[in-house]
Amino acid sequence: MKFKHAFFAMTAMAVAFTQQVWAQDTLKLGALVTLSGAGASWGQGMKNAAELAADKVNAQGGLEVGGKKYKVEIIPYDDKYQANEAVTVANRLVFEDKVQYIIGPVGSAPVLAIQPITEKNKVLVFTLGFTTKALGPDKQYTFRPPVTTAEVSQPQIDWLVKTQGIKKVGALFPNDETGQSIAKDLEDAYKKAGSSLATKEFFERERVDFVPLLTRMMAKGIDAIELDGNAPATSGLILKQARELGFKGKIVRTGGPATQEIINVAGKGAAEGMFVHTPMDPQQPSTKTYVDLYAAKYKTPLNGFSPSFYDATNMLFEAMRRAGTVTDSDKVKVELEKIKDFPGALGTLSWTGEKTYGINHQLNAPFFVAEVKDGAEVIRARCTVDGCQ
Amino acid sequence: MDWGLLLTQATINGLIIGLLYLLMAVGFTLVFGVMRMVNFAHGEFYMLGSFGAYFFTTGFHLPFLAAVALTFIGSIVVGGLLEWLILKPFRRDELNGMIVTIGMAMILQNLALMVFGPDPLSMPAVAEGTLAIGSIVIPNSRVYVVIFAMLVLVGLYLFLRYSKPGRALRAVVEDFEIASIQGIGARIYYPLGFGLGVGLAAVAGALMAPLFSVSPFIGATPLLKAFIVVVLGGLGSIPGAAFAGLVLGLIESYASLFFSSSTADMLIFAVVMAMLVLRPRGLLGKGDI
Repeated sequence: MKFKHAFFAMTAMAVAFTQQVWAQDTLKLGALVTLSGAGASWGQGMKNAAELAADKVNAQGGLEVGGKKYKVEIIPYDDKYQANEAVTVANRLVFEDKVQYIIGPVGSAPVLAIQPITEKNKVLVFTLGFTTKALGPDKQYTFRPPVTTAEVSQPQIDWLVKTQGIKKVGALFPNDETGQSIAKDLEDAYKKAGSSLATKEFFERERVDFVPLLTRMMAKGIDAIELDGNAPATSGLILKQARELGFKGKIVRTGGPATQEIINVAGKGAAEGMFVHTPMDPQQPSTKTYVDLYAAKYKTPLNGFSPSFYDATNMLFEAMRRAGTVTDSDKVKVELEKIKDFPGALGTLSWTGEKTYGINHQLNAPFFVAEVKDGAEVIRARCTVDGCQ
Repeated sequence: MDWGLLLTQATINGLIIGLLYLLMAVGFTLVFGVMRMVNFAHGEFYMLGSFGAYFFTTGFHLPFLAAVALTFIGSIVVGGLLEWLILKPFRRDELNGMIVTIGMAMILQNLALMVFGPDPLSMPAVAEGTLAIGSIVIPNSRVYVVIFAMLVLVGLYLFLRYSKPGRALRAVVEDFEIASIQGIGARIYYPLGFGLGVGLAAVAGALMAPLFSVSPFIGATPLLKAFIVVVLGGLGSIPGAAFAGLVLGLIESYASLFFSSSTADMLIFAVVMAMLVLRPRGLLGKGDI
């Protein structure tokens, strides 16, 4: 512990020192994420990831680009998971704060809403929005660091159907862009795997009582509930109430890491035996380093999306170094696209997505299927886009 | 599917949720009755109530009943103090008072966000397992919560009906001026009415905490439901709120049995609008709107 404190003190001093020596230029990154409401834990994880990446370069005296050192500053704004709020703060970031790089937004509707502003002004956007419409050849400046349902659902569902014998699946989705698009993906994926999404329900995001919906679903004789597409807190509530109603089947979540938050809400007992998608293996050394780094600065548990945004921010910095500029976002974009086999916290990373989206702006990272045992994830299968083992 | 069974199950689900709406709405309408003012911070007291119950049970290891009781008393005191410190200048100025309550709501929510953080917390269930009557399943945790809610409501009824301050409070709700002529002082009954109202919100929050999760953002939905209930029941009418709370719970439950849940949500607002057009004073309201 002592060593850690000393380390931080030194880092802090180093930062303070460098600030005095060079009258530094500042590189501003926007963090347009959800900081309140149900999606807040994702947004916090993304903002914190960007801050940690910034801390890292600032500790070295700043980001060195084209012979100049830039102090990296993260400007966070809350979009409340709403498209209209996202547009308001995107305008502020682009026109008032003059930001050319944005981490976020969290939701699909917000990212689609801000793209007309960001694409036109050549602002690089790193979004979490799961909709397939977020990426495309007409959206040259949008990137997506985390692997989405489109990438992960099929291999995982194949594996789950094969090894766990799931036949009739029920699922609940929020009634918006994210929910609708995930529902469609999952329905296809379960059918392809030889199972079926027997019943699906859509509900308004602020709903907290799922007993009526679950009663109806359970009456149809489902043997598994799929939680993908729901915000962490909502998933926890669904799980808790399903178990309270005496649901004995399997609970699976094939996308959207939220295990810790789900356990927080539903309790260890209810979450026992749940199968979840997880984008990181905490045993992997590079990932563990990040997890420790995160835990040291922020006292909250790490959300699984966070590492991919840490990696993406670092890749952005690398692209700026290669491009030799922080102001010409066109050049930075070209260099960013060229990055291959980048050693990130998640593993070796490259861009993919040409086949699905028509543009290589989707980060290709490994992912895993884990089973929850006594409140912790135990990795059961390792996956790539081609399949799980 | 066995429709008879599903219908019975839906009725029970609806009554349980309706009872909880009722608690929220009675407090809301009580505040309106006394102060002639919509309290937009009502939902935040619900939120504070669930945090209260959470910390009393997990932090101090108190039994659930004691935690709820302490939360109730604490919030009456806090509510009364807030009325006395902040809302006093607005007693004859309802419109500005309402805006003050919006401000209060934001301040309370953001304070909670700063103190407790955004991550939802889980309160351990009051009871495990389910109560099965035939093939009808009721989670035990909900049975307990219903019992506590009934106790609170019976207590409130006895207080308002038979105790002296309770009767005075009702008199203030009925007609403030005549009540003052009879010597009922605003000095006590404004803070008491407000405190009791938000106390009920806090109890609703404390009771719902083990069913749902605890986070700074949970106040919005119950506030909206309380709004719907008092509009249906008639603003300021306590029996109206009680009746409408149960009706809303049942409508919601049946609607989500027969329709997709988005349709069900729309249906509820259709009912509210129809109500406002056809019977603007609400089911049991007798106000002069």
